[in-house]
Amino acid sequence: MSTLLPPPGEIAKIPVDWVEERSGLVSFGKFMLFRNVPKDISWLQTLGSALLTVFILQVTTGILLAMYYQPDPDTAWTTIKFITDDATLGWLVRGMHKWGSSVMVVLLFLHMGRTFLFGAYKYPREMTWITGAIIFIMVMGMSFTGYLLVFDERAYWATIVGVNINGTAPILGPALSWILMVGPQISTHTLSRFYALHMLVIPSLLGGLIFVHMLLVVRLGVTSPPWSRMQVTEGDV
Amino acid sequence: MPRLTARERRESYQREYAFQKKHGKSFFPNAVFHDTIVSLIVVALIMGMAILWHAQFGSVPGEAEAGRIGGLLGPAYEAKADPGVLAYDPRPEWYFFFLFELLRLFKEPALLIVGSVIIPTIWMVLLIGWPFIDRNPDRRLSRRPIALALGVMVPIVLLTLTFYGSKAPGAGGAVSTEPGAAAFANGPCSTCHTLANAGTAGNVGPVLDEAKPDYETALNLITNGKGGMPAFKGQYTADQISCLAGYVATWSGATGTTPGPSAPSAKATYPASCEAAGGDFAGVAAAGG
Ligand code: HEC
Ligand code: HEM
Repeated sequence: MSTLLPPPGEIAKIPVDWVEERSGLVSFGKFMLFRNVPKDISWLQTLGSALLTVFILQVTTGILLAMYYQPDPDTAWTTIKFITDDATLGWLVRGMHKWGSSVMVVLLFLHMGRTFLFGAYKYPREMTWITGAIIFIMVMGMSFTGYLLVFDERAYWATIVGVNINGTAPILGPALSWILMVGPQISTHTLSRFYALHMLVIPSLLGGLIFVHMLLVVRLGVTSPPWSRMQVTEGDV
Repeated sequence: MPRLTARERRESYQREYAFQKKHGKSFFPNAVFHDTIVSLIVVALIMGMAILWHAQFGSVPGEAEAGRIGGLLGPAYEAKADPGVLAYDPRPEWYFFFLFELLRLFKEPALLIVGSVIIPTIWMVLLIGWPFIDRNPDRRLSRRPIALALGVMVPIVLLTLTFYGSKAPGAGGAVSTEPGAAAFANGPCSTCHTLANAGTAGNVGPVLDEAKPDYETALNLITNGKGGMPAFKGQYTADQISCLAGYVATWSGATGTTPGPSAPSAKATYPASCEAAGGDFAGVAAAGG
């Protein structure tokens, strides 16, 4: 009877082949892993993937925080306190989310500096830079909307100041302040609005843009450093 | 070397890159290995900061309602937000310090929008449009003097602004937590008056640290206005005006935490009047309403 069964190695391949035949995911994965990159890429070119890691970390810790957090002026601060002081390892989740945002901003500046100095925004990677620049502005928006959520004294006043800065813009400014705060002052609605922006609107746009950014990076390939000595020799290519 | 047309240049780049790729190395395991190491270091750094942060405020005894503050890396959380608290020194997250400092540089009411809107907008347009602005096809820094100069200058300017922003008093300028200070610093007063205790540096009206008005003078001026000084009768309640007058009289000409010379006359109503002025005072003033 046992002779009817294929050898173990073949058994393992059955589900893999099944998936491949129906989706092409396996060959896609192989393409992703085994595509070539220039020989002399440098450590500076790991900053983008580090950013991706931090983004995933922020999403994960953010989801965990959302399981306890309530965006209501009466309970927001109390739930933050609960997460920090009482929930098992809550301080670690919140701490990593909080410090992750700072680290992300630093990495953004470094990654931007690296692509700038490498001239990596030049043909054909202009769109990679542009998506990156919009990502950068959105990350700043994440941090602005996230700051209020703790709803302690610092959060409250910093947000008033931030909203007032918007308010100084001519014509649109006061309207923008009003829209952000949902009225003339920070209220229940302000908190819900910031929460919706912080955990739904901006992250989904950001996720989409990061996806496009990655797609471009894979399609165009990463640059080799400007000091690269690799030269096209006659008869090559 | 003959000058290449833009199209030839693009094609030549494509050729060069195809060559580099052909003679390159596989993404896995080479680049993946480096990426993994750096990602692990970054995650470890974030965890380390969270642990350090927790360890430090963890030693603060459980005065929980007042928040858990202290520690190198800042508080776990401060006291619950209370619009009724008149004095707070608002600070943004550190990576907004450069914007914050920019605003302080353009504090004059007429110039405010330069710092708050014009410069940030120009900066964002430059950032997004940069690939179209820099048309120099060369990638070597030695052939990109302008880009190199910018690449050095921008970080220096940002770091300098961040440094001074971190040292700056709070947004409205309130350095002190005296009753009335926040209302003064976040309200219209700050744009026109210099008052050290509130950390404001307006220069439309008199420097209050030099004028050292007594309570009655201040009350009268704030209520009825005079010359360039607007009347605030319709804008603030009597208690709020009394609070501001008391604050100004007590703390103008003050050195550190020692009240100024006209303090005695202010004693009767201040700081009780600030409490009576009630919750929304600073909030409304700060919101510019
Ligand atoms: C538009 C600018 C402006 C604003 C806003 C403003 N002031 Fe004045 N303030 C002035 C001018 C100008 C004077 C000088 C009036 C005079 O003596 O002719 C003055 C005078 C004063 C004085 C009297 C100083 C003295 O000479 O002894 C006090 C006190 C004062 N202001 C307090 C305040 C307070 C408190 C606020 C906020 C509610 C405020 N001011 C808002 C412009 C302003
Ligand atoms: C969450 C934010 C971001 C993520 C996750 C991300 C991720 C990446 C990754 C993984 C790469 C490939 C290799 C590398 O250089 O590390 C890359 C390349 C690139 N990024 Fe980003 N990036 C982000 C933000 C930005 C920003 C803000 C900019 C600039 C404004 C930018 C511009 C570029 C450019 C021009 C490249 C091409 C580099 C080359 O081919 O050499 N990125 N990005």
